[in-house]
Amino acid sequence: MPDQAFDKAGGAHTAPPAAVRVQGLWKRFGDQVAVAGIDLELPAGKFIGLVGPNGAGKTTTLSMVTGLLRPDHGTVHIGGHDVWADPVQVKSRIGVLPEGLRLFERLSGRELLAYSGRLRGLPGDEVDKRATQLLDVLDLAGSQHKLVVDYSTGMRKKIGLAAALLHNPEVLFLDEPFEGVDPVSAQTIRGVLERYTGSGATVVFSSHVMELVESLCDWVAVMAAGQIRAQGTLAQVRGDAPTLQNAFLELVGANGHNPGDSLDWLGGGAPR
Amino acid sequence: MSVVAGHAPGAESTGAVSTGLTPLFVRLKLSLLKNGLRQSSGRRTAFIISAVLVLVFSAFLVLGLILLRETQYAPTVTVLLALVTAVAWAFMPLFFPSGDETLDPSRLVMLPLRPRPLVRALLAASLVGIGPLFTVCLAVGSVIAVAHGFAAAVTAVVAAALLVLTCLALARAVATANVRLLTSRRGRDLAVLSGLIIAVGIQFVNFGWQRLAATGGMSVLEPVANVVQWLPPASAVGAVHSMSEGAYGRGLVQLLLTLVVLAALLWSWERGLVKLMTAPDGSTIQAASDSARKESKAGLLTRLLPDGRTAATAQRVLRYIWRDPKTKGAWITSLAIGLIVPVFNALQGTGSAYWACFAAGMLGMQTFNQFGTDTSAFWMVATTISTVRDAYEELRARLLALLVITVPYTLLVAGVTTALAGDWSVLPEVLGLAFALLGALLAAGLVASALYPYSVPQDGTYKNVVPGQGSLAWMSLLVGLVVSTVVCAPLIALTVWLHVAGLTTWFLLPLGIAYGVLVTWIGLKVAAPRTAARLPEILAAVSKG
Repeated sequence: MPDQAFDKAGGAHTAPPAAVRVQGLWKRFGDQVAVAGIDLELPAGKFIGLVGPNGAGKTTTLSMVTGLLRPDHGTVHIGGHDVWADPVQVKSRIGVLPEGLRLFERLSGRELLAYSGRLRGLPGDEVDKRATQLLDVLDLAGSQHKLVVDYSTGMRKKIGLAAALLHNPEVLFLDEPFEGVDPVSAQTIRGVLERYTGSGATVVFSSHVMELVESLCDWVAVMAAGQIRAQGTLAQVRGDAPTLQNAFLELVGANGHNPGDSLDWLGGGAPR
Repeated sequence: MSVVAGHAPGAESTGAVSTGLTPLFVRLKLSLLKNGLRQSSGRRTAFIISAVLVLVFSAFLVLGLILLRETQYAPTVTVLLALVTAVAWAFMPLFFPSGDETLDPSRLVMLPLRPRPLVRALLAASLVGIGPLFTVCLAVGSVIAVAHGFAAAVTAVVAAALLVLTCLALARAVATANVRLLTSRRGRDLAVLSGLIIAVGIQFVNFGWQRLAATGGMSVLEPVANVVQWLPPASAVGAVHSMSEGAYGRGLVQLLLTLVVLAALLWSWERGLVKLMTAPDGSTIQAASDSARKESKAGLLTRLLPDGRTAATAQRVLRYIWRDPKTKGAWITSLAIGLIVPVFNALQGTGSAYWACFAAGMLGMQTFNQFGTDTSAFWMVATTISTVRDAYEELRARLLALLVITVPYTLLVAGVTTALAGDWSVLPEVLGLAFALLGALLAAGLVASALYPYSVPQDGTYKNVVPGQGSLAWMSLLVGLVVSTVVCAPLIALTVWLHVAGLTTWFLLPLGIAYGVLVTWIGLKVAAPRTAARLPEILAAVSKG
């Protein structure tokens, strides 16, 4: 399927400067191509969803964009700075919450924030002040002295988010921030992120839950099989489809794949 | 829940259950054993192999003990053997918590059981198994080895039973008292540490054996045995020996002592069971312990160091050495072996003060694979390193944390070893060489960490390398050791030459320190740009666990 990219966000309005610009990004693991030459232009100050089925290459893309994985080809610019050529400018501007990587789990929640903030070069007093506020807002104050290894999945996501927000980054990259998180914690995370983007910062998060993306994001990029199938505002990507879910299934080519005929033996009325 | 301690309405029926409880539990244990073996052929094979091995070993043990009967060493050996067995039983459940499902009291909590019959039944059930079989063989062999005469023979029967039961009761009492610990994360952490007990234990056995051989045999152990024969359950074996010697009073006291301790153990086990089965557990107590955990204070080191990466990283590394079971295990093993080897060598009179360099070597190796112990959490570091300077500070901070331990430790080991070897004049050169070696190893370790990182799996006691990275780990360590030795060679050559020429050697101390610092600094300078340039590769290499 050809790349169905839309025009730059906003259309008639003057387009805001791109927070993230990805050009010709490739990554191959052995024989398998994980990311096959993607181009992305993510506008600043938006809540951006990177959606796609499992194995689409979302995590690989986000890892390369945040400097945690070296791409085979292509460039990534964040706020106009090259991620690989100019890490000084980039690393201080971004916050990351990766999926599938650990935290320093033998630290308590508060110690983790104190450590993370000081690595970022923030003054100790400021780190402690911000950590206290983040722990309060994210409802972790009661468990702040517990080791992260004893935290639940939701608590880990929240402490990871706190660590990513501590240095007030311009762009926040979250890989599956709502995966395995209970509704209460999800609502807390959501509230914090909405307040954060409301102030002009950019959030880029990956997910495969369309309802969530539809209710949160104003800008969406759809990925499948290592390629970008569509990118643009929610309305642009949704197009004529009734919901984002339908548009998504259409884009990734999953529509029309009806298992009904092949599983005719399955169900109450069928012969055993 | 009061089903255990209190009177339930159906008290008569519980009484009826209690009478048949012991055979029921024994049958339950046997079925669990059988079903467990049926589950997988691997488990069956392992069981059969270990059973055969234990049987053969037991047979030889009994034979050996019977042969010992005619020698003068029998009382000493049997008494010490009994003590070692009891200690092993006491610690076994802490390190190998899984396996015995009949004895997990939390599974029985909903059943209407009374504590006393329950303890009896559990004790009987725990007699089933390979371990108890081995202990029975050992007990029987031991009493045969020391029993001479009718009174001793009668005592021997009682003593063997008491020895076995006390061992089992000890294991159960310890396990019950610590069951909260064993089912928690802390318990699993503890199990990871068991590897180091074995590693350090081997050193002790090795040196103990050498010492025995060097000093002319068992006679050295007699004073120890004289004390141990009063320690239950070894006192049961001691009683048999006393009876054989005609010291009936002493024998009776020893036997009684064992009986009292067995009763006390059973009583504490029963109390532990009642408490465990009637008190709320972790699932019902709200996280009350949260507030109990004190807010960790900033350590001395962090108050001395300037605020920022250096202090934060050094503190994190030190916290990991203390809190992460894998890291802690590696450190304690290094510290213990680094002390035991030089000190024991010096004690035997065969070693020289230069053995103190061994301690520096053991600790220096801890710098290898710096990032492996971070696991995939290394991403948190990687996202904050953007310049070579950042990488330099990160490595320097890690080094500082290591030096906090290694420098005083090297001083201590060198001091103790020199004192034992009895030649204070060599202390400066020993320290100088040790610090130079330490510096060389730290430098090599840092460079190896940057160039050849590998994952350290977090589960499993003995696995320190992920499959597929083993050769990488060995090569990096081996090359590092060779390089460090080569780097130290000039200083070693100088020391030898000074000795041959009969010149003064005190200046080797400042020279060694300066050399060590210089080499470490060069190592930092070489490793920092390589670390900064290879962040994604390092992250990928350490994330495989």
